[in-house]
Amino acid sequence: MSDRSQLISTGEPFKFDQERDTEFERLIKRYPERESMILPALWLTQEQEGWISAEAIAYIADRIGTFASKVFECATFYTMYHLHPMGKYHICVCRTLSCWLRDKQAIVDFLKDEIGIEPGQKSEDGRFSLEEVECLGHCGTAPVVQINGEFHEEMDVEKLKALLAELN
Amino acid sequence: MAEMIKLFVNGNEVEVEAGKNLIDAIGAVGIEIPHLCYHPALGADGNCRMCLVGLEEGGPPLVAACKTPAAEGMKVLLDADHIKKIQHDVLEFQLINHPVDCPVCDQAGECSLQDYYMTYDGQKSRMTVPQVTKSKKMDFGCGVIHDQERCVLCGRCVRFCRQITKTGELGIVNRTDTARVAIFPGRPLDNRYAVNVVDLCPVGAMTSADFRFKQRVWFMKKERGVCHGCSKGCNITIDHNREKDQDDLIYRFRPLFNEQINGYFICDEGRLSYRDENENRLTEARLSKTTMSLDKAVTAGLKEIKRAEGIVILISPDCSLEQMVSVKSLAEELGATLSGFSDGYIKKGDGDDYLIQDDKAANRAGLAALNIDSSQTGFEEALAKAGLLINFNNDLSLFYDESSLKKLFKEKRVIGVTSRNTKLFQMANLVIPVASFTEYSGSIISCDNILQTFNRAITKNDTLVDICEVASLFGGPLKTDRDRYDELKKIVVSLNDFDPDTIPATGLKLT
Repeated sequence: MSDRSQLISTGEPFKFDQERDTEFERLIKRYPERESMILPALWLTQEQEGWISAEAIAYIADRIGTFASKVFECATFYTMYHLHPMGKYHICVCRTLSCWLRDKQAIVDFLKDEIGIEPGQKSEDGRFSLEEVECLGHCGTAPVVQINGEFHEEMDVEKLKALLAELN
Repeated sequence: MAEMIKLFVNGNEVEVEAGKNLIDAIGAVGIEIPHLCYHPALGADGNCRMCLVGLEEGGPPLVAACKTPAAEGMKVLLDADHIKKIQHDVLEFQLINHPVDCPVCDQAGECSLQDYYMTYDGQKSRMTVPQVTKSKKMDFGCGVIHDQERCVLCGRCVRFCRQITKTGELGIVNRTDTARVAIFPGRPLDNRYAVNVVDLCPVGAMTSADFRFKQRVWFMKKERGVCHGCSKGCNITIDHNREKDQDDLIYRFRPLFNEQINGYFICDEGRLSYRDENENRLTEARLSKTTMSLDKAVTAGLKEIKRAEGIVILISPDCSLEQMVSVKSLAEELGATLSGFSDGYIKKGDGDDYLIQDDKAANRAGLAALNIDSSQTGFEEALAKAGLLINFNNDLSLFYDESSLKKLFKEKRVIGVTSRNTKLFQMANLVIPVASFTEYSGSIISCDNILQTFNRAITKNDTLVDICEVASLFGGPLKTDRDRYDELKKIVVSLNDFDPDTIPATGLKLT
C-alpha cells in the first residue's frame, strides 16, 4: 500500500456537470445523514473526470456540508478511487487469494511486458494504466481482470492478448 | 455523592463509583489500566486495544476497559499472564514503525508510549525490515507541529477537532501501515483551542511550536494556577524552571482539569498569556526618569499623597479580592475616590459559547462584590476634580488612545503601581513595580460567580511586592492576610462561612 495522501491539484475549480448534479440531488434523498453521500459523490466525480482532484474533494465536502478531512479520509482509504489521472483503459488485476492461486502473476507479467509499465503506472501515450487490486468478488471465476469497470473472468494470457487487440 | 459499587481487581475487592467505565472507575482508586485512545473528554473509541482486560465469570473473557461500564461484583483481571501478553503484543505493534527518537522528542518524560513500554513491554525490537517512513515537522497551523512517524493513530486529535471545536480540520488518511494524521491541503487548523491537541496527544506526534525544544519536561516544576486571560478563570498548570544563573521563568501554561470551570481544556490565547509573566515586566521603581529603591519610591509616593488636593484611586479588574479590599480600605483611609473603571477590558463579540469570554478581566465580579464603582462617568468626573491619580495596574490604554490619555492626565500627578512596563505607565510620574498574578496568592471570582483561590507559583530572583503590601505602605489599615480576609467577610456575605483554607481547590460557587 502506498501513500495516497499527496493529492493533485488541477488549479481549476471543480463542479458536477448537469447530469451528475441531478444524480447527486436524487441520491441524497435516500440517506438520513448527508454525510452518507461522501462515497457516492466520489463515484460521481470519478465517473465524470476519470479521477478525483483536490478541488473535487473540497467541492464534495462543501456541497455535502461536511469536513474536507472526512472526504479526504474516505478518498484515500478506498483504493478504488483514483487520485491521479488514469490511462484511457484502466486495467485492474485482482491479486487476492483465488486469483493469486490461479496465476494472476502471469497476467501481470504479460501486461508489464506488453505495455511496458509497472502496476500503479500509466503508459506514456496515456492509453493504459495498470493496477493490482484486492478482491473483486469473482473468486469462482478467477483470475479476473477489470478494464474500465467491466469484468473479464477466467482470464489467461491468450484471452488477454485477444482483448488488447480488440481495444487497439 | 455518587453511588458506589464493589468489584474485584486481581482478586482484591475495591469500591468504585458506579456509572463510569473501567478505566475511570478503577483509575480513580489508583489502579492504572493502560490506554492510548480513550480520553474522558472525548469518550471511548476502542481503536488502540491497549486497555484490554480479562473478566472472570460472565460476559466475554476479554473486554476493552474503555467501553465496559463498571458493574457490581465484576471480577477484573489485570495481572494474568494472558493479559500481560496482550499488552506486550499491542505495544510491540505500536512500536514497529515508531522512530523511538525519545532523546530528541519533546514528549519524552510525559509520553504514554514511553511509560507503557517501560511498564508493560521492555523487549528488544524484533523488526529486521525497513520501517515505514512518513512526514515530519509538518506545520498544521495554530502553532501545532506534527510528526507522522511518532503517531500511534489513537485519533484523539481528530476527535477533539470534530467533537469539541466542531471544526474538523484533522483526519486519518490512507490505511494500514501508511495511515497518518493529516490536514486537507489548504485547510489547516483554524480554531482558538487548537493547541489542546498537543496535550491530548499521548505521544510526541503533536508538539507546540511555542514550547518545543525550550525545556525538558523533567526539569520543570509544576504549580496550579488560575488563568487571568479572561473572566472564565480556567485552571492551569504553570510549568516553570530556574535555569542556572537565570531568573525563574514560565515555559508554558497547560490546562488543569476542573469539571465545573474549564473541563480538560483552555484556549490558545490563555495558554500563551504566560509570556506576559516573563516579558516586558517593570522591575525597578522610577520617579520621573530616576530609578530608585522601593523604600525611596514609597516615601516619594507618600509625599505626593500628602501634597495632593483630591485623590482618585483606580484599581484593575484583574486584581485579587485581597488586593481590592486592601486598596478599598486605603481609599477610605485617604478619603480618596475609588474606581474600578475598566470598560477597555471588554472586547465585545470576542467570546464564544465555550470558554472564551468577552470580558478579559479576571475578577470583575470581585469589583461588584466589593461595591467598587466601575462607571466611566464616575471615574472621569472624580478625576477632573482631583490632583493625583494612583493607578493600581489598571490598563487604561485599552480604553483611551494616547492623546485622550494625555488630556486625562493633564496637570495631574500620576502614581502607577504596576507589573507591566507599558507606555501607559511610562506616562506616570512615579511607578512602583509589583508582583504579577503568578507571583502572589489570592482569590478571584469568575464570570460564573465561582470563587477560586490560587497560590504563589513563581519566586523571582528579585521578588516584587504584592499590591496589598503597597496599599499598606501607603497607609492602608489592612496589614496582614487575616485583616484582609476579615474585611472581605464583612463586605461579601456569602464568604461568611469560609476561610481561605476551607475554600475547595476546585472553586466555590457563590450564591
